[in-house]
Amino acid sequence: MISLPIVDAPVVVQTSRLWRSLPHLRQDSEFVESNQEEFLPGASNPVSGSRRHFLQLLGASMALGGLAACRRPVEHVMPFADRPEELIPGIPLRYATAMPLRGIIKPLVVKSNDGRPTKIEGNAQHPNGFGSTGVFEQASLLNLYDPDRSQVLLRNGAETSWDDFLSLCQRLQLGSRRVAVMAAPSSSPTIARLRAELEASFSMTTWLDYRAEGIDTETLGIELAFGAPYRPVYLFDQADMIVSLDADFLGPTAQNSGHNTRSFAESRRVHADKQTMSRLYVAESTYSSTGLMADHRRRMTSADVSRLAVELAVALGLREGDTPGEFAVHLAAELQAAQGHCIVLAGETQPAEVHALCAIINQSLGAIGQTVKLLDTGLGEATRPEALASLVSDMRDGLVDVLIMLGVNPVYDAPPNLSFASALERVSDSIHVGLHVDETARLSTWHVPAAHYLETWGDGRTWDGTWTPIQPLIAPLYEAARSDSEILGALASGSFERGYEQVRATWQPVLGNEDFESTWRRVLHDGFLADTGFDAVVPAASEFDGAIPASPGGLELVIRLDPTVLDGSFANNAWCQELPDPITKIVWDNVAIISPATARELDVSATYKRGRYYSDIVTLSANGQSIELPVWVLPGHPDNTVTVNLGYGRNIETTRPERDTPFWDTDDSTDVYARGTIATGVGANTYMLRDALARPIASGLQVSKTGRTYMVVTTQDHGVLDVAARPLIRSATLDEYLDNPAFALEHEAPTPGKDEKTRFEDYPTLWEDHHPTGTPALRDSDYWQNQWGMVIDLNTCTGCNACVVACQAENNVQVVGKKEVGNGRELHWLRIDRYFLSDDGVEVSDNPKMVVQPMPCQHCENAPCESVCPVAATVHSPDGTNQMIYNRCIGTRYCANNCPYKVRRFNYYNWSKTIPSTVQMAQNPDVSIRFRGVMEKCSFCIQRIRSVQKNAGLEKRPLHRDEVVTACQQACPAEAITFGDLNDPGSKVSLARSNPRSYTMLAELNIRPRVSYLARVNNPSSNMVESA
Amino acid sequence: MATVPDKSVTLPVGDAPPLVTGNLGFHDITQLVSYHTEKRPPSTWYLAFAVSSTLLAVLLILIAYLFWNGIGVWGNNNPVGWGWPIVNFVFWVGIGHAGTLISAILFLFRQRWRTAINRSAEAMTLFAVICALLFPTIHVGRVWVIYWTLPIPNQMEMWPQFKSPLLWDVFAVSVYFTVSLIFWYVGLVPDVATLRDRARSIWRRRIMGFLSLGWTGANRHWRNYEKTYLLLAALATPLVLSVHSVVSFDFAVSIIPGWHTTIFPPYFVAGAIFSGFAMVMTLLIIARKVYSIKNIITLDHLEKMAIIILVTGTMVGFAYITEFFIAWYSQVEYEQYAFLNRATGPYAWAYWTMMSCNLLFPQFFWIKRLRRSIPFLFVTSIIVNIGMWFERFVITVISLHRDFLPSSWDYFNPTMVDILTLAGSFGLFLTLFLLFLRFLPMVAMAEVKVVLPESDPHFYDSHDDEEEA
Repeated sequence: MISLPIVDAPVVVQTSRLWRSLPHLRQDSEFVESNQEEFLPGASNPVSGSRRHFLQLLGASMALGGLAACRRPVEHVMPFADRPEELIPGIPLRYATAMPLRGIIKPLVVKSNDGRPTKIEGNAQHPNGFGSTGVFEQASLLNLYDPDRSQVLLRNGAETSWDDFLSLCQRLQLGSRRVAVMAAPSSSPTIARLRAELEASFSMTTWLDYRAEGIDTETLGIELAFGAPYRPVYLFDQADMIVSLDADFLGPTAQNSGHNTRSFAESRRVHADKQTMSRLYVAESTYSSTGLMADHRRRMTSADVSRLAVELAVALGLREGDTPGEFAVHLAAELQAAQGHCIVLAGETQPAEVHALCAIINQSLGAIGQTVKLLDTGLGEATRPEALASLVSDMRDGLVDVLIMLGVNPVYDAPPNLSFASALERVSDSIHVGLHVDETARLSTWHVPAAHYLETWGDGRTWDGTWTPIQPLIAPLYEAARSDSEILGALASGSFERGYEQVRATWQPVLGNEDFESTWRRVLHDGFLADTGFDAVVPAASEFDGAIPASPGGLELVIRLDPTVLDGSFANNAWCQELPDPITKIVWDNVAIISPATARELDVSATYKRGRYYSDIVTLSANGQSIELPVWVLPGHPDNTVTVNLGYGRNIETTRPERDTPFWDTDDSTDVYARGTIATGVGANTYMLRDALARPIASGLQVSKTGRTYMVVTTQDHGVLDVAARPLIRSATLDEYLDNPAFALEHEAPTPGKDEKTRFEDYPTLWEDHHPTGTPALRDSDYWQNQWGMVIDLNTCTGCNACVVACQAENNVQVVGKKEVGNGRELHWLRIDRYFLSDDGVEVSDNPKMVVQPMPCQHCENAPCESVCPVAATVHSPDGTNQMIYNRCIGTRYCANNCPYKVRRFNYYNWSKTIPSTVQMAQNPDVSIRFRGVMEKCSFCIQRIRSVQKNAGLEKRPLHRDEVVTACQQACPAEAITFGDLNDPGSKVSLARSNPRSYTMLAELNIRPRVSYLARVNNPSSNMVESA
Repeated sequence: MATVPDKSVTLPVGDAPPLVTGNLGFHDITQLVSYHTEKRPPSTWYLAFAVSSTLLAVLLILIAYLFWNGIGVWGNNNPVGWGWPIVNFVFWVGIGHAGTLISAILFLFRQRWRTAINRSAEAMTLFAVICALLFPTIHVGRVWVIYWTLPIPNQMEMWPQFKSPLLWDVFAVSVYFTVSLIFWYVGLVPDVATLRDRARSIWRRRIMGFLSLGWTGANRHWRNYEKTYLLLAALATPLVLSVHSVVSFDFAVSIIPGWHTTIFPPYFVAGAIFSGFAMVMTLLIIARKVYSIKNIITLDHLEKMAIIILVTGTMVGFAYITEFFIAWYSQVEYEQYAFLNRATGPYAWAYWTMMSCNLLFPQFFWIKRLRRSIPFLFVTSIIVNIGMWFERFVITVISLHRDFLPSSWDYFNPTMVDILTLAGSFGLFLTLFLLFLRFLPMVAMAEVKVVLPESDPHFYDSHDDEEEA
């Protein structure tokens, strides 16, 4: 080695200290920090020395110059120095995982782009997976990137460390502590194992499965009927007759809605090979997604629904009682005629006794084992309604030393009469584990930030019991975040064990020691362990004859889970807040929903004025509490009852600074993240109105007008659709359909197209000769081989919104906030149109039918948007889709004006500029982020088409049949959306398009949409008279 | 039996009231008109200029605000992609019709009364078209790439889309502006030469000398001038009709009910003339008073304009009613609803404002006394322009806010920025117009002199007429 005197210069030991200032002399920490520069002072000064020294230094610099490039970056970026196996930069990977939601687990496949989870899809291979998802699975992605997530441990509100918390855990091990756990219901075997450990290590433990929305009356009812809390699985596809007693089993809030929707859709699908469909009767206390699918819908208060259940039992001869009404007799006759192919089910608003009664009715009709499968979960008895009250009174009496709250927020959502907050003060160590510094976190002595399920190891069991692992896709975004099981483990043992080890320890006995590693890997890969479902049981005849609790009467209040923010756990999710309610289409608010008649009675109204609604604010008083809410008048809502949704009126703290821009910059008013948290200040907390048992019904509601009004924003106003004049949604009864399967085409353009020979379609187009699709540029393209199209079945779509969120997640659709939705600038590429249908001659009925219609871009072949763009920014692709070229768009908005479906969306502000950095990570890198001033719209998920085509090209093969799946199609639990290649006569979409029910919207404009709809077919009973 | 022809001679000038009153001679006219560009303007001018330039400043500030933040500062929304900016655009283009119509078409039809008003009407046209050009420019989402609408050769071989009516607009309006500017300038040349000859200061003489292109008033100059003017008039005439036809294609070529109408081109042109004349009338009533040129711009001129307003107003009203008839006759629900919604929907107030301003008020001009009442003319001319602004609002906004799918129906609310931008465009217009009044002869002196009786002492025209008869 060459010895370089300069480099290897002997260190001169200083005997005296040189100092520049007193802080320097004292070596104050601040001073030291501010002086920690890369080079020592004077390093850049020229050396004074000989020429030889200089040349030596020069040579050394040259030699070291190369090395300097190898310097490790100072920032914590993660270069793929060792590239993970199978990862190709830019190519997303998919992992099977699962999401715990309301006590069960939803099997998922999550797409990860360069380590960031970006899109959630259902796991189609899972025995209980179906491949579809609901709104909440889709939206949970944004919860991961929520910029307001809690990031550090808090002890009495001050930041603390994980070691501090561990020392608490160790301290708790000593002495006999009375521990209580309030945990969100979980199906996790690991949590169950740790629960047992916890119970073993403390002298007294209380474990409460705490459901914010209240007690699971369905399970309780089945327990009442059969003595065990069996879990029902309704096989709607096997049923000919379905009676829903206030059960919104198709709605996004139904616990098993994915399965329900899928099997119900199966029973409703009508095509050449299947000419029958089920009949759905709904009696309900609000207008729900299930109600709009009904063949016969009766609106009544929930108390009346209970009475109807009794009448039905009487009519079926299962009980003694007063002579049942006409409706009940009719239902009984139809149910009996169905010979066991029937289902009667009650909803969450109904008391356990009604659920028990339904179980008995099902049993007596022979449905159990046939259309209703009961699963033995082996979970012990269902949580009693009184359990929460007794825990709170224990707390108040000082009988609880340690309270662990896992993923719950009781200060916000416990019944107010229990005064949970004051009881919490009596607990010496209260530990809250959650995603946010929420209402409960602020009153607890400890707060531990929870890790999102995409960040942790875990497990759970699906509705049918299949063991399903949760594998993380990303390390926790915040160092302090821990999973529920890790925290439980720490509390139980006093030491920290990683979730990975915990879950493996749970699975070890199940998978067996031999071959554990390979089985475990297969389970992780598949996302489930096969054949681990619960066993179905057929219980002995029930002896239940309990009375149905009578309702005290008066105005009734129905408190429901919200179809967009659920129980409030999705309230800080911008996608969910901006998701229109499936029925009212309201965004960013909760309201008190009443019928037009009740509104007249109470003298309140929601007045439509200049694109927005101004609702009277009323004070709702029940159970000794009162809140203020704006009213919402919903045609079809039952009289004498008020529906409110849970989940609003949150108060979450954030450390994020507010965005404050000068007066000439609108960023602070257009950014939904600008002022504090998303959830805070939106709507009112309706949990306040519940009684101590947290029942979803309150009777004797008092409503008083405050005299003030409030602006409510919807994405759609109340418009009664005159179907005869505007045949946008076409429907017929089953008999009419059988008579004339192509009934939908009867509605086609009035004059020239009436008879078969002069159908409008057959008219030559004006520009056939010079149609762009005839140009060589398109014809000679390889893409020409596939012509994409979509078919949407109106018979199965329930309007659940899963597709809307899926589209939002897939296509980086930005959120604009309440004010801008009010200005009509929402950006959803796919919207679900909702119309009320009135009977002939009735202008506005109090009990109209409702229909929904998903509305993506129709990808017209003669697209009116394309011909008006002055710069050719929207053009046709060779594969027949209409595409937006964002780079070329100058924003004249002419295309949007000329779109007859109004599916084009304009970026009125620079929405993407203000996205918080964590939310930026949720964006799909395969889809451009749109700048202000450009138009955007549904692209038929062109990025998915191209990526599949690219893979096929690499593999040198043609596309497989139905290989391309759009985001909306993928998410749809009803499989109402079919997408594919129209050139392939065997593709699903070609078959669906040849369904006689198929029609296109506004065909008379001769724009030839590529999206067609399958007209709706209802199956009303022939001897049933509708009542208002 | 043949009757004896009436040989009693009546002076032709006596048939119609004289075009210039007050026994003005050639020099009087030169003096009367040039004088205003040479002396300090009246204090009214300063007041008006202060107001209009303030409005112009507001316009500029709001445009900066718009460019910084985006189109969201206006009220446009999802069904209503075009709001006030396009309404204003069509409004200003419409106003910009009267000038060239007066200069070119009336010139070709030998309407000699046009000479008193054509200069200021043409100036008004140019300034209105400048305002009109402003709006489509600033209303695009990404204004910094608006040049993509022009056919500029580029390495991508990316051309504008020639099927789009917006592109036709770009060509139509810019051609119209160019031709109108040339036409106006050519007409100015002899008058600017007059100003040059009267100029006292060297700089004024040099500037005016430059602008007058070496005009000496030679016979040859006059011959060339007259030919050029005639040719330009012939060139401008089809443009008067084409510009607003093309503007109307923006709507008529689309498929939106209420827009998709073949009646639009003639209806728009009539409307444009209607509003253009109203605007000329508003401005001239003020100018002739302030600048004491009532003898040149006489009551007879105003009455003639009133008659044109009456005729075009009735044509426009007829078009409104025709639209309703066609909607009913078509039996197309969407079409029928679009018109029903105009008359009875949430914007019925706008529709009825339009109807009363455009159809009802001009009908008062059947009464001669009202045609010759300055206050009434003034008020009506303003009412007509309010009505015409609302016509464009009705067409643009009401048709868009409720079209085929009731699910996407919404309402359009203008913002303060919308309102002030419209006000600001008036600031731009008036500022330019006031500068014109200050620095250039507001009446075409050379042409007015031609219609004086002494420029035609032998009644050539009349004699010719008689011989032909």
